[in-house]
Amino acid sequence: MKYVQEFRNAELARAIAAKIAGLTDPNRHYKIMEVCGGHTHAIYRHGIKDLLPPEIELIHGPGCPVCVLPMGRVDDGITIAERPEVIFTCFGDMMRVPGSRGNLLEVKARGADIRMVYSPLDALRIARENPDREVVFYAIGFETTAPSTALTLKRAKQERIKNFSVFCNHVTIVPPVRALLDSPDLRLDGFIGPGHVSTVVGCRPYEFMTTDYGKPVVVAGFEPLDLIQAVYMLMRQLAEDRCEVENQYSRIVPWEGNPQALACLAEVFELRPYFEWRGLGFIAQSALKISPAYADYDAEQRFAVAGVRVADPKACQCGEVLKGVLKPWECKVFGTACTPEHPLGALMVSSEGACAAYFNFGRTVQAKAAVGS
Amino acid sequence: MIMAELDELLLGACTLDHDGCVVCADAGIPVRVVTMGGDDALCEDSAGNRASIAVELVGAVRVGELLLTHGGVAIGRIGS
Repeated sequence: MKYVQEFRNAELARAIAAKIAGLTDPNRHYKIMEVCGGHTHAIYRHGIKDLLPPEIELIHGPGCPVCVLPMGRVDDGITIAERPEVIFTCFGDMMRVPGSRGNLLEVKARGADIRMVYSPLDALRIARENPDREVVFYAIGFETTAPSTALTLKRAKQERIKNFSVFCNHVTIVPPVRALLDSPDLRLDGFIGPGHVSTVVGCRPYEFMTTDYGKPVVVAGFEPLDLIQAVYMLMRQLAEDRCEVENQYSRIVPWEGNPQALACLAEVFELRPYFEWRGLGFIAQSALKISPAYADYDAEQRFAVAGVRVADPKACQCGEVLKGVLKPWECKVFGTACTPEHPLGALMVSSEGACAAYFNFGRTVQAKAAVGS
Repeated sequence: MIMAELDELLLGACTLDHDGCVVCADAGIPVRVVTMGGDDALCEDSAGNRASIAVELVGAVRVGELLLTHGGVAIGRIGS
């Protein structure tokens, strides 16, 4: 199973699905969480759910950093972006995330200098080209994205660029998973672990899920067969009464991760004591802030960010969907007041948010649920 | 690994101009190194798009090698 074509082989997918069915106890209900938003997207894009027995339920986890960002952090970013001396840079998906006073696209339309970038290194280039302006990068993402911010800050420091700073909203994957495991709302049988986060952090950080909580974990890739095989590996562990961390994605994920990237993260960032997650509340040591050695590049200090707290709109049930308590279509505004064109909640904004994935690819699942109810 | 096999590893994956959601933790893009230049490498994705990629975090790389990139930075090697 080395090549991509093989990972989209329908015949092989059906053969593995048959093996999964053979391992499934018809008297049991299995709940498997895919932690990562990329997996949620792939599951509905490729119709993976339709291949699985009805006893297996896939729960969508908190692995979309846009979706878990509280509105207050969006508002803080907008406050920086509105300053006349600032060129505010961010990834494309951040532009449409609603804060309590609108989103960055609307602020840009009102005259703020907000620019979409593909890489934080592009933001640093803008700073070099505009020495008389303050260039701020809105950093967001898990451990896959954090290395690019860290590397950019190292380069900024080496080049002694003074007009560049980062508004850091990077988060880490393990603390929210632990919070979910501690949640009384949710009973899970196993986890599909994030693929590219694990390229950086490796597989070892998930071992507590097996030792402390007795939940098997399979780190998986993003092709259809990657995901089906991951479900098969989890079901085999459950059937054999094993509980281990397994690596389905070994063609890309080293067991120990990327030590150079981890060293870079450790130099530039440190853990925040607490950080607020949308739907999950405050979670200890779940996010990164810029370390004292790089404090000159911390936009929160440079612009005295207020750290406002904003409650979600009352109709929005992103929190329950994020925890897997509600399915996206069970939210009272899904597909009506909240659509990808006019999102109310962050899960509909991000292309890999669970609601957007359901809206774009999961209509058949929704229809089947309606028929079955 | 011969070049034909490397090509096959790139097919079907995210590309530099269409990677879904770049802020998502997991939208890594596989690319092949075309030329090296200091800490950056000119890389090409499966659709032929080219971009300069920072490679400090994966150690020394060779022309023809496959890398996993995210946000303009290589974070891992593929098939090594």
